[in-house]
Amino acid sequence: MHLNPQIPSGPLNEKWERCRFEAKLVNPANKRKFDIIVVGAGLAGASASATLGELGYNVKTFYIQDSPRRGHSIAAQGGINAAKNYPNDDTIKGGDFRAREANVYRLAQISNSIIDQCVAQGVPFAREYGGLLANRSFGGAQVSRTFYARGQTGQQLLLGAYGALMRQVKTGKVILYPRTEMLDLVVINGQARGIVTRNLITGAIESHAAHAVVLATGGYGNVYYLSTNAMASNVTATWRAYKKGACFANPCFVQIHPTCIPVHGTYQSKLTLMSESLRNDGRVWVPKKAGDQRPPVEIPEDERDYYLEKKYPSFGNLVPRDVASRNAKEQCDLGKGAGETGLAVYLDFADAITRDGEDVIQKKYGNLFHMYEKITGQDPVKEPMMIYPAVHYTMGGLWVDYHLMSNIPGLYVLGEANFSDHGANRLGASALMQGLADGYFVLPATICDHLATADFQDLDIGHAAFREAETAATDRINKLLSINGKRTPDDFHRELGLLMWDYCGMARNEAGLTKALTRIPEIREEFWHNLRVPGGDGDLNQTLERAGRIADFLEFAELMVIDALDRKESCGCHFREESQTEENEAQRDDENYTHVSVWQYGGEGKKPIFHRESLVFENVQPSQRSYK
Amino acid sequence: MKTINLTLKIWRQAGPDAQGSFQTFESGPISIAMSFLEMLDVLNERLINSGDEPVAFDHDCREGICGMCGSVVNGEPHGPEKQTTLCQLHMRYFKDGDTIVIEPFRAKAFKLLKDLVIDRSAFDTLITEGGYVSVNTGAAPDANSIPVPAPKAEQALDAAECIGCGACVAACPNASAMLFVGAKISHLALLPQGNLERAKRALGMVKKMDELGFGNCGNERLCEEACPKGISIRNIARLNREYMRATFCSDE
Amino acid sequence: MSLIRRIIRSSIGKKYIMAVSGACLSLFLLTHLAGNSAIFWGKDVYNAYAAHLHSLGILIYILEVLLALVFFVHILVAVMLYFENLGARPNRYEVKKNGANNWNSRTMPYTGLIIFIFVLVHLVNFHFGERTVTTAEMVREVLSRPGYAAFYLFSLAALALHVSHGFWSMFQSMGLNHPKYNNFLRYGGLVTALVIGAVYMLIPMLVTLNDKFLR
Repeated sequence: MHLNPQIPSGPLNEKWERCRFEAKLVNPANKRKFDIIVVGAGLAGASASATLGELGYNVKTFYIQDSPRRGHSIAAQGGINAAKNYPNDDTIKGGDFRAREANVYRLAQISNSIIDQCVAQGVPFAREYGGLLANRSFGGAQVSRTFYARGQTGQQLLLGAYGALMRQVKTGKVILYPRTEMLDLVVINGQARGIVTRNLITGAIESHAAHAVVLATGGYGNVYYLSTNAMASNVTATWRAYKKGACFANPCFVQIHPTCIPVHGTYQSKLTLMSESLRNDGRVWVPKKAGDQRPPVEIPEDERDYYLEKKYPSFGNLVPRDVASRNAKEQCDLGKGAGETGLAVYLDFADAITRDGEDVIQKKYGNLFHMYEKITGQDPVKEPMMIYPAVHYTMGGLWVDYHLMSNIPGLYVLGEANFSDHGANRLGASALMQGLADGYFVLPATICDHLATADFQDLDIGHAAFREAETAATDRINKLLSINGKRTPDDFHRELGLLMWDYCGMARNEAGLTKALTRIPEIREEFWHNLRVPGGDGDLNQTLERAGRIADFLEFAELMVIDALDRKESCGCHFREESQTEENEAQRDDENYTHVSVWQYGGEGKKPIFHRESLVFENVQPSQRSYK
Repeated sequence: MKTINLTLKIWRQAGPDAQGSFQTFESGPISIAMSFLEMLDVLNERLINSGDEPVAFDHDCREGICGMCGSVVNGEPHGPEKQTTLCQLHMRYFKDGDTIVIEPFRAKAFKLLKDLVIDRSAFDTLITEGGYVSVNTGAAPDANSIPVPAPKAEQALDAAECIGCGACVAACPNASAMLFVGAKISHLALLPQGNLERAKRALGMVKKMDELGFGNCGNERLCEEACPKGISIRNIARLNREYMRATFCSDE
Repeated sequence: MSLIRRIIRSSIGKKYIMAVSGACLSLFLLTHLAGNSAIFWGKDVYNAYAAHLHSLGILIYILEVLLALVFFVHILVAVMLYFENLGARPNRYEVKKNGANNWNSRTMPYTGLIIFIFVLVHLVNFHFGERTVTTAEMVREVLSRPGYAAFYLFSLAALALHVSHGFWSMFQSMGLNHPKYNNFLRYGGLVTALVIGAVYMLIPMLVTLNDKFLR
């Protein structure tokens, strides 16, 4: 199979213009003849549905929550970057040279229009006293170009897209399908032509046909069980598409965020991210002595190890996320971790408070301190905060070309669900931007090319392919309900998550990955023989929903490990212990791994088929990162 | 970690038209570091293991922003902690031996689906009646072409923080949605971008609110006390003002 | 006409009606209070005030009709709201924890009902009764009976409670809520309620406690 990324020729800054210029158009009067299915209603899904509706297509939007305002984009705190006249080569570098240059450049190009669009929708971004938009600096960016709305930027952007979507619902161009889960993709004559869904309230299995299917179903971070993702975030839609022939790219690229509230017990259901801005003033340390059980305030200054400041004198506590995360793990592995579980490091504001006064620090971080205290019951002003890395974002996803179309014609993938823009590192404050760029601007400009040129066979849901997919979905549900074993879905999920965290988490090595590769099929085997799902399929059955998603995670996890095993270099978030510099930093292997690893389903019980999309950097030369 | 034991009295109802009743459970030891929903998770794991149907409840982000969770705990939506969603409520605020009564949000406009799960699509319907700015993608002028006074932007954001959880309706003795509607009306009326459609929006949303079967505001302020985002009833006053303006002064 | 229909049909329109009629009734309460205060200057002043009122003839008659109309509208809309609100939550909560500071607002329908009954009794006592003695003598006669005095005191307390919420509520309903004058409105309501309650209640208390009052 040849994977053509369809990147337009010409200089970097003209590619997107050229792509839009060359796309075949659909006559405005003909748009109403095309039906488009959008799965997911987060930033990417809602913005795409709204814009496609505005253009005149008939849109059906499916989502598993009760309202399109619940997508997990809503939880993004920090902000959204826009490249107001700023050369964006650091954005390209940010992906650690494993992202498509042209995609990253396009993202930066579109970013200004996104801000304009959101402001016009009434998104209340922070303002200067003069009335113009305010900026702050964020993440790894060295300049102040992040737009924000307090700590709720994601929420405000999503509500903007939600408003636009509801406007189209009012006009009748978009029909909403709340609490509806996509269970399968239907491919007919090589084209994506519909989906099979389950109504989560009534249990009804239904088919929906369309001329194109758009997946905007988010990331798969919940394969680790514990992550900062929402509880319902899952891989099912993209995994089902994969099994129908769509390729999965870079599944092992997972961003692990260094500043999260640590795990406190086995019953814990999710992790909470604390904004990274805390590292601007907080100092990270652990006790020098392993197993030191004293409360932090009783540990004297000379028995504290400020390991980040020591190791990285110039960046100090502000080293990039992957470096900070890995070092925290390293300290905890040495037995120097803090707290009851030993899986935490301190983030101390005492010095900042002495230097700037409690008022100043409270003003900057008061809401974060409050949030931390709400969850942990401890006041970060009185004792140091405890933090630990947690899975936050998945850069991998279904493979798409420059048009955001997967290798299945008519199947488009947006936002976190695709792999396109982030490479080996998530670009700071750019996940929101990517979701909106894909939904508002890229897809609406590229989907017409497919609709105008493809040869569409007349069909409806009576087609045999739909019957087949419905039967498969029903059989699978009946199977899940009939096992009647002894373990709950969450129990399996927890076991899988721990395994992935240990062997395919922050640091990976061949032995561990190989071990995971033998364990995953064993867990999967037990799952299908020892699962217990009470209730039936004819009404709201949340255990059944979860069981279905976990079954897919159990298959997907294997692909992730295979990918991690295959990429023998370290890059960005992917740290292979075999590939490190003398100073224990990630050692990239540009010669052998400047490519996207693309995996194609090989059939039940067979190995996935590997494909390679080589990455070409015309404008920025790959260089080794150093934060010393 | 310290643990406590609780008696849980939870509303069970098999479906929208089924007869519901309270079922009582002993929680077993609950770590005080757990969140309220994790406590329910523990109960549900036990129920599944013993072959019973677990308690259905809505939740998603578990960090207090998606607005999906929410039940009435001992008579208070989202429980006793101020400005805290149920998922962010932690068990350290309860005492050993406490009895906790957990009920769904109740309102005619929120149909009960199962146990603690309700249908809040009425809120979405309200938004379709003008809870947006009518601007097509790509047609937006430069973001800085219309300055917005910083205090206005802040006030708009105060209102826009609404997470659409429905606690205001649940807390209101009259099951009124005025705080929800007031927040959206205020958010958009305070910004120049939303200003042009303010009359149509106020009339449309209020009309729909009445049709959907929400009650009337009695100025009892319980909504603002229950709101996990602390949205002020000042927004209801603004709604009253906007509606008056629209009724008496606009051409709508 | 369609404007009136739109107002009466909408939930917020009903609030405007409650607020405006409530404001009129509050004005009446204050006027009535001012007039009745003549009673504290003795029976002659009081009787003279009553005689003056009656001499207004047609004017007082028109005012009475208007007042009755406002009363009727306030009550009618209140009853409509009451039943609509009952319908908005068909299933009640098992546990209902009320806010600490809202018992005045919570009891509005009930204090309203008490006031309604009181107004009927009050009208029977002083308006529709056969007029054989002076007004001051009528006051003494009615309020010297302990049952009536107690009923008046109880009802006037309910009135004060009703006003204490109604005053602030009226401004909120008309869209007036601003941090700069919220305290004024809140405490203004409290003070108005206290003054109205205290001054009115002084009358039955004086009749009961002071034998020489109005003699």
